[in-house]
Amino acid sequence: MTANRRDFLKSSLGGVGLIGWSFGAPIFLSRTAAAVPAADKAGAKDTILVVIELTGGNDGLNTVIPFKDPEYVKLRPTLRQLPTQIKKINDQLGLHPSLTGLAELLQDNALCLVQGVGYPNPNQSHFRSMDIWQSASLAENVSEGWLGRALKGLPGAPSFHLKSNNESSPLALDGAPARVPSIKTLEDFQLQLAAASGADKKEQRDIIESVARSNGNSGLLDFVQRTASNTYASSRRLQEIGKNYQPKAPYPNTPLASRLKLAAQLIDAGLGARLFYVAHGNFDTHATQAPTHANLLTQLSEAVTAFFKDVAARGHRDRVLVMTFSEFGRRAKENGSRGTDHGSAAPMFLIGGKVKPGLVGKHPSLTQLEFGNLKHHTDFRQVYAAILDKWLGVSSKEVLGAEFKHAEIFKS
Amino acid sequence: MADATARALDPRWAWQPYRPGKEVPWDIRRVGHLYRRAAFGASYAELEAGLKAGPEALIDQLLKGGPGLAAFDAEMAPLAQNIARYNDAAHLRAWWLARMLHSPHPLQEKITLFWHNHFATSYAKVQSARFMLGQYELLRRHALGAFSELLRAMSSDPAMLIWLDGRDNKKGSPNENYARELMELFSLGIGHYTEKDIREAARAFTGWEIQGTKVVFNAKQHDDGVKTVLGQTGQWDADDIVRICLEQESAAPFLVSKLYRFLISETVTPTPELLTPLAQQFRKSGYDFGALVRTMLSSNLFFSPLVYRTRIKSPVDFSLNIVRGLEGKIGTTALAQALEQLGQNLFSPPSVKGWDGGKSWLNGQTLLFRQNLALALTSTEDARFGRRCDPAALAHKYHKETDTEQVDFFLRLFLQGDVSAEARARLLDYQKHAHQLPAPVYWTEQDIADHRVRSLCYLVLTLPEFQLD
Repeated sequence: MTANRRDFLKSSLGGVGLIGWSFGAPIFLSRTAAAVPAADKAGAKDTILVVIELTGGNDGLNTVIPFKDPEYVKLRPTLRQLPTQIKKINDQLGLHPSLTGLAELLQDNALCLVQGVGYPNPNQSHFRSMDIWQSASLAENVSEGWLGRALKGLPGAPSFHLKSNNESSPLALDGAPARVPSIKTLEDFQLQLAAASGADKKEQRDIIESVARSNGNSGLLDFVQRTASNTYASSRRLQEIGKNYQPKAPYPNTPLASRLKLAAQLIDAGLGARLFYVAHGNFDTHATQAPTHANLLTQLSEAVTAFFKDVAARGHRDRVLVMTFSEFGRRAKENGSRGTDHGSAAPMFLIGGKVKPGLVGKHPSLTQLEFGNLKHHTDFRQVYAAILDKWLGVSSKEVLGAEFKHAEIFKS
Repeated sequence: MADATARALDPRWAWQPYRPGKEVPWDIRRVGHLYRRAAFGASYAELEAGLKAGPEALIDQLLKGGPGLAAFDAEMAPLAQNIARYNDAAHLRAWWLARMLHSPHPLQEKITLFWHNHFATSYAKVQSARFMLGQYELLRRHALGAFSELLRAMSSDPAMLIWLDGRDNKKGSPNENYARELMELFSLGIGHYTEKDIREAARAFTGWEIQGTKVVFNAKQHDDGVKTVLGQTGQWDADDIVRICLEQESAAPFLVSKLYRFLISETVTPTPELLTPLAQQFRKSGYDFGALVRTMLSSNLFFSPLVYRTRIKSPVDFSLNIVRGLEGKIGTTALAQALEQLGQNLFSPPSVKGWDGGKSWLNGQTLLFRQNLALALTSTEDARFGRRCDPAALAHKYHKETDTEQVDFFLRLFLQGDVSAEARARLLDYQKHAHQLPAPVYWTEQDIADHRVRSLCYLVLTLPEFQLD
């Protein structure tokens, strides 16, 4: 095939047109052809969810801070943040001073903060509690994750675990119809060729792409051909994009930022990707918490802000939802090592063009504690349920095994 | 095709042994089809030999396995001992892949893979290579034997006792996990039992404990009271529950339809009438699985155009088809890792339901990863596989020297020549044209020729038809 990409798309569309759009129509081709990237309502077919795991237990009390509450100063004699530096949300609450970018997103009506999130009888083991959050189940033994189960309702939707070195795939993605790949760089998503020369490479690529074009076959062969056409077109675009991807907002040079940039590239390539999972941490700050926590929050805030600005500038503002979670918050009262021990309820961040901006739910009381921990009033599965039903368009009842009242995280 | 559809619905015709005829000749396509479904693909020599041998002899050979199985098992056993001894999960899956590649009895491994997907136990929870190997041995031992015995043995398999919490199932505080999956996933299928059946059956499975590396029966923890399960009342124990399950009408059809999907077709949905004769035979034979496999593999339906290429290759099949075709001698550790990226991590199925299979194997990422794996295997430039799977060496071995010979050789080897005329023309074109493409100046004539053969082979493997089983 010698035609350029535009012709390639046209001819592919011709082939696809013959047999209709139903059943796994190539998302990339259809989106490119229509050239309307933005979903106009939540739950539309091409929404994207980026989940950021804050590994180790993020200190929620020093993330969304009740700076006017006299109890706060008492509980955090050395770790308290100064009202002058806190990024005010209102006259009671504010964000940690490191969260400059997120404060801007709040101004931009793109940040929702759900306070007091947890689950009944909170477990204080990292592993157990992480399993609970990732499986969305309080059952003793779990083998499937909530996102893996959600993917059963999103057949054929590419999803990615964006890993750092040696990080294995999270439980959250287990149970998907096909294992979600863990990738580190764009290289992982390129059709590789062993060619004698550039001309040979082009020749081979042309053959591979041309034999993948559907010629009115039926059944499984047609399915394979359409999957392949879609894949090669996307891979080709990624190569182009990867070579000279110019972010629309500068990404800092941190591991989290480079992985979110990878997500942005994959989104912009139009693969039809729906889910991304990335872990950031370690937040397990038992001692000398202040510098570590500030640094991790800075990285989080800068990376997420860069990512959101980048994809928003590419027209995906209303298609993207970023969700952060941690396996638990930390003990209300700081410990003797200028750190904090494992706790329970904590806030979650949701970032996107369609979120209901601002605070959702009250800050948990600092006097009515439960074993020294903040009490949750919102079950994390209420947040999941809203995301599943309203954002991904997958039945939350099926994924979560029960009905949960939606947390009010989206614009109505 | 219309005729085939109509006749396929006739169960008598469907399950009668296939006899070659004018419309359904014993050709290379049918040899390839049989080797794909009943093994992990074939070498060129095996394909040609199978063509000469005829269907009956080839099916016999696949069912019995070739000579040297005992010696092969003895060779593999010390490796397994080390894997168990050091809880070496990484080599566990590599070890099985090596068995699939080199066993003189590939059908046994293939059906073991079927059972692995059926009982779907994962190292992720079991965390013991010794127990995973133990379950594998159990599955293989009974792979082509009596399903009733396999199911009975599974009640006290250590890996299963961990996987489905049988070890926590005690008198007075039963854990229903195993009892539920026994009925839902292992023997009857959903809708053929009640919640009460599960609760009662769970009591019968109490008492199994793991002590060290052994399973022991602790009578004190066993609930020997009276239970009513699926309408039968008595002081049932584990074996009784298995017996009662297998006395149910729904057991045989459940297993038969699952094997049908594995051996015959993922897309041609069988009617209940079509499967009835097989289910009856299966039950009457005391659940002789080998006999059921034989009936399916020998049948008219199996060799009919209706079910040809109606499955998507699993990652294991995809990769082993390549390696066996190229007579490769690769190390399987890297292959096992690659398979994880393709969605099939052996000994770690995604859930208690196993791999969904079918279309779920293929999406935008996995297809690309498949092609890249095919390239890694055939290019000789990949550090993991090197030149141990070299298409150029294979072409030389079979004296395929001209462009046309080489194109037809690889098409016959991997697709039995069954591709569109256009695809073949494109490949021939490449083969001819590639002579004139520039190459590094330091390449010899031989380097250039070999590179062309490897590229050709890779291009053949990227044909969409090669994804089909």
